[in-house]
Amino acid sequence: MKKYWRCFICNDIHYGVRPPEVCPTCRAADAYIEVTAAEAAQVSLAKTSMDKAGFRLAMEEFVSKNEFQVNPDRGKVEMLIEGIFENEKSHGLKYCPCRLRTKDFEEDLKIVCPCNFIMHETYKDKEDGECWCGLFVRRKK
Amino acid sequence: MLVRAFREEEKMSKVMFHGRECPHCRAMMPLVEKMEKETGIVLDKREVWHEEKNADLMRSYKSVIAAKCGGQLRVPATTATETQDLICGEVEYEKLKEWALK
Repeated sequence: MKKYWRCFICNDIHYGVRPPEVCPTCRAADAYIEVTAAEAAQVSLAKTSMDKAGFRLAMEEFVSKNEFQVNPDRGKVEMLIEGIFENEKSHGLKYCPCRLRTKDFEEDLKIVCPCNFIMHETYKDKEDGECWCGLFVRRKK
Repeated sequence: MLVRAFREEEKMSKVMFHGRECPHCRAMMPLVEKMEKETGIVLDKREVWHEEKNADLMRSYKSVIAAKCGGQLRVPATTATETQDLICGEVEYEKLKEWALK
């Protein structure tokens, strides 16, 4: 079962079955302690905010070392980012605009962008694969 | 739940669930309009991310939609309430028209 962990040196927050052996932020070893979801949320909210431009930059960084890229269709990407931020504003998380949430929180984590689309039939084993909404597409060889 | 949804929406025979910021849904709209003009069959269009009533209606179809949409409530989802015949995602015009005329 996944839990929340906080680095006692730099307050880095990790969500996972086990804590990182080395904190990726401050490089301290064995520095994580389990905390409540409320504490993790408070620490995270205090430290972070992201507008659409920031999200776009985060996506570019995310795809830079992966086999996929952000869709070169700028109009499509703009529309999707608009929807993602609308959903965060109205429903709390950056849900995919092309899939409806079920209202089961754990289930709906699967449609928070970016989702685990590499396992989806629209991407897996397809040369021109893309995530369901089309925000991410396989990089051309 | 599905049967109840049908009864509550008796007038609805062909419905398209879509999202306002979904590019696939946006791309399908001109095809739907063309199909409606050609066949006289009008789809009941339900936006699901900004209209909670429509979202709940789509959720009531979960077993039908998820079965053909990768286990999820993907949009656009275009379904015939009587036959439960469903189109998941963006399709070409001829396939849409063929589906509508069934």
